[in-house]
Amino acid sequence: MNVNQLRYVIEESGTMMRRRLGSNILSVIIMGLSLLILVGFLLITINVQAVIDKASEELRIYVYLEDGAGGAASRDIQMKLLGLEGVEEVVFVSREEALTLFRRSLGDDKDMLDALESNPLPDAYRVKLKPEYIRTETIKAIASTVEKWKGIEEVRYGEQWLGRGEKLVRGFYVADLVIGVIIFLSVVFVNANTVRLTVLSRQKTIEVAKLVGATNPYIRIPFLIEGAFQGAVASMLAVGLLAIGHVFARRYLPGLLFMRADAVAGFVVLCAILGALGSYGAMRRFLRF
Amino acid sequence: MNEIQQNQRIIVGVYHLSKIFGKHFSLHDINLQVANGEFVFLVGRSGAGKSTLLRMIYMDDFPSSGQVVVGPHVSTRMKRSTIPELRRKIGVVFQDFRLLEDQTVFENVALALKVAGVGLGDVKHRVTDILMRVGLYHKRYDFPRELSGGEQQRIAIARAVANRPSVLLADEPTGNLDPVVTRSILELLFKINAGGTAVLMATHDLDLVKSFGQRIIYLEDGHVAKDSDMIYMGDLRERLDGSRVSERAERLEDRDITGDGGTRR
Repeated sequence: MNVNQLRYVIEESGTMMRRRLGSNILSVIIMGLSLLILVGFLLITINVQAVIDKASEELRIYVYLEDGAGGAASRDIQMKLLGLEGVEEVVFVSREEALTLFRRSLGDDKDMLDALESNPLPDAYRVKLKPEYIRTETIKAIASTVEKWKGIEEVRYGEQWLGRGEKLVRGFYVADLVIGVIIFLSVVFVNANTVRLTVLSRQKTIEVAKLVGATNPYIRIPFLIEGAFQGAVASMLAVGLLAIGHVFARRYLPGLLFMRADAVAGFVVLCAILGALGSYGAMRRFLRF
Repeated sequence: MNEIQQNQRIIVGVYHLSKIFGKHFSLHDINLQVANGEFVFLVGRSGAGKSTLLRMIYMDDFPSSGQVVVGPHVSTRMKRSTIPELRRKIGVVFQDFRLLEDQTVFENVALALKVAGVGLGDVKHRVTDILMRVGLYHKRYDFPRELSGGEQQRIAIARAVANRPSVLLADEPTGNLDPVVTRSILELLFKINAGGTAVLMATHDLDLVKSFGQRIIYLEDGHVAKDSDMIYMGDLRERLDGSRVSERAERLEDRDITGDGGTRR
């Protein structure tokens, strides 16, 4: 295929799409709305993930020390904690400090604590992990290691909460995947159908073009371009509608995130490829080569 | 076949070609050669296998056995990807013209050049030139439906010869046209032939072509009944339709086409 042919082929695909503008617009709208469902779910997932990530960063492991563990033993534990993989920060919380915090957290009911004769709270280390280590498995592993050490009374962290958050995110990902597969398939089918109609309406042109010596690429490329173009425009329509929705939603949820620019670009490219794929499938069935 | 490839004089060679559809021979052991620049009529009744044979030559279909050689292309060794190359060396016209209704005369002819990758400037130049030669340059912006049958066939011929093919195949090109227009189309084909392009024209109408003094290949029930430059007409006419010889003879007298037109060349 030389430069001239490439030019004619691109012109031809433009002519083709203009001639069937109505059905092209219709199928782009159908595909765009289907894709909107998908990008909508993706956006929700992104935001849930962001919320959970943020909350997870606040997660701390509390390592309670046995009563009467001396300063030296305590410092030893601190060093050992700092030496663990994934530990970012270890802060000592004395029993007095803990009591003050507790008292503050009780608010109006703090008088209850006055009934205590002595401070029942143990000394503790508050361990902060690096963000990438905040996962149920790693935290569990760290906790069970630390628990076995001498001088440790108990290790606590928000295990239930963390598990639930992870399950939620995983659920969203699975849903995205299922919806994604269904919607991508429907996009390919809608696209294949539109292209099939174009192919049928161009049957005579194709026949004549072959008769006068058109190569297969010369005949096929306009259809591939049509499919890719439809996919790309449909995905841009979906992202555009989502952006409008996002602007409105931000009035109520100011922190709401949008898809990153590179994710949008990737999505458009993916949809263009799927569109071309749909065309290819349609041609394989309806062009006899 | 090898000797044919070496022999540059032969542009179309058909060797022991048979085509079977279902259980029946559509073509049986066909042998014929068309030389460069030759004009050949392929005459036979409807169903004799003319169209099938032409389709084998432009390789829209392939023989069940035997082979077709067009220039360097051999049907038994043909790859799908080289068919376009072959098609640019063969022009084909049909009874039903096969023009694109949604494109102008100019665009219809330009298509043949565009698929071959000719630059836009050259396309304009060459289409103009060809349309002048077929006498329809003034109708370049018309659509096929605005033209008469004869004009449409001229456009179809212009498209077929746009890539300067070595051979032009015409399958009943005058089948839909009245005698006067038929004659003008034949004259156009002779003109193209005079420019060096070999022409192989299929027709059922022996009366139409017998007086031109060109080589006639007679196809009957899927085999070559006679192939001769100097064919004995009476014999053929009987075979063509024995019961209607006299009727045809009468019609013949009404036609001007067997007169001066025949001795033109």
